[in-house]
Amino acid sequence: MNRAMVAAASGMAAQQLELEVVADNLANADVAGFKGAAETFADVRAGAVGLGTIAVGRHPVFIQGKLEKSGGPFDLAIDGPGFFVVERDGQRAYTRSGAFTRQADGSVRDAAGWALHGVRIPADAVAVHVTRDGAVGVDVPGKAARTVAHLRLAEFAAPEALRPLSATLFARSDGSGPPRLVTPGAQGGPSLAFGMLEKSTVSIVEAMMQILGAQRAYEANAKGVQAADEMLRIANNLHRG
Amino acid sequence: MDGMEWMGSAMRAARAALDVATHDLANVASDGFRKAVADVRLTARGLAVATRTSAEQGAVRATGRAFDLALLGPGAFHVGDGHTRGGAFSRDRSGWLVDDRGRRLHGACGALRVSANARIDADGLVHDGGRIVDRLPLPAGTHVQAGALEASSVNAIDETLAILTAQRAFETAQKTLLAIDATREKAANEIGRVQ
Repeated sequence: MNRAMVAAASGMAAQQLELEVVADNLANADVAGFKGAAETFADVRAGAVGLGTIAVGRHPVFIQGKLEKSGGPFDLAIDGPGFFVVERDGQRAYTRSGAFTRQADGSVRDAAGWALHGVRIPADAVAVHVTRDGAVGVDVPGKAARTVAHLRLAEFAAPEALRPLSATLFARSDGSGPPRLVTPGAQGGPSLAFGMLEKSTVSIVEAMMQILGAQRAYEANAKGVQAADEMLRIANNLHRG
Repeated sequence: MDGMEWMGSAMRAARAALDVATHDLANVASDGFRKAVADVRLTARGLAVATRTSAEQGAVRATGRAFDLALLGPGAFHVGDGHTRGGAFSRDRSGWLVDDRGRRLHGACGALRVSANARIDADGLVHDGGRIVDRLPLPAGTHVQAGALEASSVNAIDETLAILTAQRAFETAQKTLLAIDATREKAANEIGRVQ
């Protein structure tokens, strides 16, 4: 009965963790560039004896999100693998969230103040555009259009091992390997879409289904704990004073 | 064997059935998990429980990750010194395919080290850079579905029923044991009492 109780309790803990992961996904269902995470569980056994379940790891699922036309002045989306390289206070990070805006100092930053690495927009530029291969062009009145920067994307050998800094921001880790800078637009590689944003990969319907499933599985495991407890009580009643 | 021993074996069998059912239920979210089944048999020495692993195929759900692999049919993935049907693999920084515990996936020629563009086809052949570099050692007739995972084969309703059944069986055996005990008490203390 004790073994059953431990196994059922591990199942409850697993479903609780699953709920946390799905709730986090759901909270970011509208965040551009967000990648849903998945938790992996495996059974625990000692020889032939089953002892319940354990969480063995969580990884973000880097699948392509849908690109959607947006109204932002400097919105960028990556079609394919790779990350934007952003900087703040000398720290470097990587993101697929491309909602940037022009700042007064010429830099291009997202809402949290992370600046797109290597891009400076002249103060007198009236229009900015980015081509699919990362060339940042500006129009200045009275002058010919010119290119002020070439955006490059960072690719990692193991992007799933990146260290998350926030929902959409990552830092390199030992597991991810060093960033490799690539020029977008090449055959078979990533390309950029200007005026578009990559939607979150979280499907609300799927997340709701996962929540319902986890909730029911939690209840069922709780029943297992109850049954084990009840059987202990019955065993205690074997001896009548 | 007397009645009490019979009931004792019935209670032990119910407990073993509960252990199996709760372990199954706990793994309702473990990908690739195959449920255990408790078979209760009547022997000359009471009820005996034998556990076996069910060969029932779990449902396959699409994930979109290139190295999530689902097995359709018997067999398992070779990871280091063990076997698993949980197919959530990813490429580490050196190109090795590893599961979430960091164990390397092995092909017929050893641990698999591939590029990001590698793919594994339905027959378990590993294609990388336009040629076949290895194959997964699988029994004939077993297919691989890449970009998908095999869900646990546990059915929560079946296991909940099994738990309730075990609990009631335990209770019945206990009640019967108490009845036998009460009869013996009478035999020992009332029959032959001198008024």
